[in-house]
Amino acid sequence: MEKAKHEYLDLSPAFNPNSVAIIGASEKPGKVGHVIMQNYVDIGFSGKIYPVNINAEGKIMGYQSYKRVSGIKKPIDLAVIAIPADGVPATLEECGKCGVKSAVIVSGGFAEIGRTDLQDKLVKTAQKYKMPVVGPNCLGIMDPLSRTDTLFLPTFKIDKPKIGGVSFVSQSGSVGSSTLDLISGEGFGLARFISYGNAAVVDEVDILHFLAHDERTKVVLFYLEGVKRGKEFIEVAKEISRIKPVVILKGGTTSGGVSAAHSHTASLAGSAAAYEAVFRQTGIVIANELEDLLYYGKIFATQPLVTGNRIAVITNGGGHGVLASDALYQNGLVFPKLSKKSETTLRKTMPALVNIAMPLDIGGEADAQRFGAALQTVTEDSNVDAIMMIALFQTPGADEKLADMVIQYSKNGKKPLVVVSTGGKYTKSHTDIMEESGVPVYESPTQAARALSALINYSKYRNTGV
Amino acid sequence: MAKLMEYLSAEKLLSKYGIKGTSSSYVDSPEAAVKFAANSPIVLKGITDKAIHKTKSGLIETNLTSPDEIGKGFARISKAASRFKPYRILAQHMVKGGTEIIIGGNVDQQFGKMILLGLGGIYVETFKDVALRPCPIEKKDAGSMIDQLKSGHIMAPDQKSRDMLTELLIKVSKMFNDNEISELDLNPIILHDGTYDAVDIRILKQ
Repeated sequence: MEKAKHEYLDLSPAFNPNSVAIIGASEKPGKVGHVIMQNYVDIGFSGKIYPVNINAEGKIMGYQSYKRVSGIKKPIDLAVIAIPADGVPATLEECGKCGVKSAVIVSGGFAEIGRTDLQDKLVKTAQKYKMPVVGPNCLGIMDPLSRTDTLFLPTFKIDKPKIGGVSFVSQSGSVGSSTLDLISGEGFGLARFISYGNAAVVDEVDILHFLAHDERTKVVLFYLEGVKRGKEFIEVAKEISRIKPVVILKGGTTSGGVSAAHSHTASLAGSAAAYEAVFRQTGIVIANELEDLLYYGKIFATQPLVTGNRIAVITNGGGHGVLASDALYQNGLVFPKLSKKSETTLRKTMPALVNIAMPLDIGGEADAQRFGAALQTVTEDSNVDAIMMIALFQTPGADEKLADMVIQYSKNGKKPLVVVSTGGKYTKSHTDIMEESGVPVYESPTQAARALSALINYSKYRNTGV
Repeated sequence: MAKLMEYLSAEKLLSKYGIKGTSSSYVDSPEAAVKFAANSPIVLKGITDKAIHKTKSGLIETNLTSPDEIGKGFARISKAASRFKPYRILAQHMVKGGTEIIIGGNVDQQFGKMILLGLGGIYVETFKDVALRPCPIEKKDAGSMIDQLKSGHIMAPDQKSRDMLTELLIKVSKMFNDNEISELDLNPIILHDGTYDAVDIRILKQ
């Protein structure tokens, strides 16, 4: 589909609707239209809900139902379409005629099974009415603040994230829903979720442009399989990277970047390599696996930007200190040279057995107070850019007071702090509290080092454009 | 259909953008090659759009100085090139020593023209240590391409060579972007004595 350059579809009616028509709403459990209707009722959507079903008279789940969209005769911000594919083009046309501001088509049965004819009709209708249409063949939209949720997944099967500043975009529905489920377990909350399926009308360029200017979105996580408008993607990616971090996991990279068949360039620059090149040029943070979306998401959501790479390590375990050292240096990070003043202060506040050097191993018996003193000293040291604190809760000194201290510190923390904590139930109960309070906690020094490295590289891009 | 640009025209196009190629001339006899050499070492190349890889096809003879060497080299290339008719033989003054790099370009179907930098010769195939960017590139992109490479410090060991390489990348990106070119291979470019020479040029027109 051709679009004029710099013309973007506005997605706000879809994310902040005051009224929703659910086309294909049903009383029958198991029907997609039933699940969506149920979700809207369950989450307490505060706007108007209009169930539409050609076969239903009277009420659906207690709401006045309509045979056709044209029968509603009230303003409609969002139409959620969940009916068999053959009926979708005519329904969308009717939505356009009635002035419906946006639509999400969850129904499948279009280009993905070869029915490009049906999909082309949707594109024509959307163009005619300048309507942002998400899908078809998608999960659609979730927005915990406006309480919109077009996902046809039963509430009890998927955890719902709390409200926050991270938006998540996924071309794929299954990566979308499973990752969304995981995001619900993270301390950071969700701003917007969109899974856009076949991208017949609304595509990644429209979505990134919308999120760039969306004040609620502080960080974007994106699972991407391909872009439709390469040149426009480069422009919008540059634009958004100057405002907020975008972490992209690109699926389908196995063709392998570089082929050695000939020395000529055509085979050296495979398509996967081209994506990586575009991401590097536009400041996109590259995720290598699904977990990276969460690891990077939480540091960007909670910590300030920093361009320096000198990381102070404070640990209550010697072995983890060694592992952290390796992890830092493997990821292009280094230890700071502590100032004379810091060394003097630490010599006074730490027991004689503590070696005042990096990594700073403050001993297995270290309690909240000792951790706090060390944390304060390295924070005030201008040779330190960021801090990795390894808090192993199996040790005698580490308890809820330590978790509290870190939370308090993190609230007025001026330098980025990541915590490494790994263990069983006791540990988990403390890391959960820290994460809920905005402290990024990682299970290994490697995860933490990679997240810090991503933060630093993005910060440099913001500073210098590289 | 993409078409190979004639060598001297390609060299002329580069020079229009301030990109320096090594001095070259077609020679139709061993005698003409000897005259071109003027007692300094030359390279002879069989130029044909039917062979992509000159070395593998036996179409390059290097370091020829005496009339005898030049005559034998000319004969070997003529024999190897007879499989790839039509062909011509190009003589170039030999650039000795230095670091070989490759700057290339191709058109990605999604993102358009892309420029590539890598260490030249056999290294590009063995280590696959290449940096790629969509065109046009700016100074900061050129710098980040060099920084991305493991071999970056081999190509640009000091600030002066880094500045030269950065400028060269920007010029190539501009030349590629401005013209109807579908594929570009400057392989190798030899960095030597604070300067460089593009010693082999392959440009496919759109």
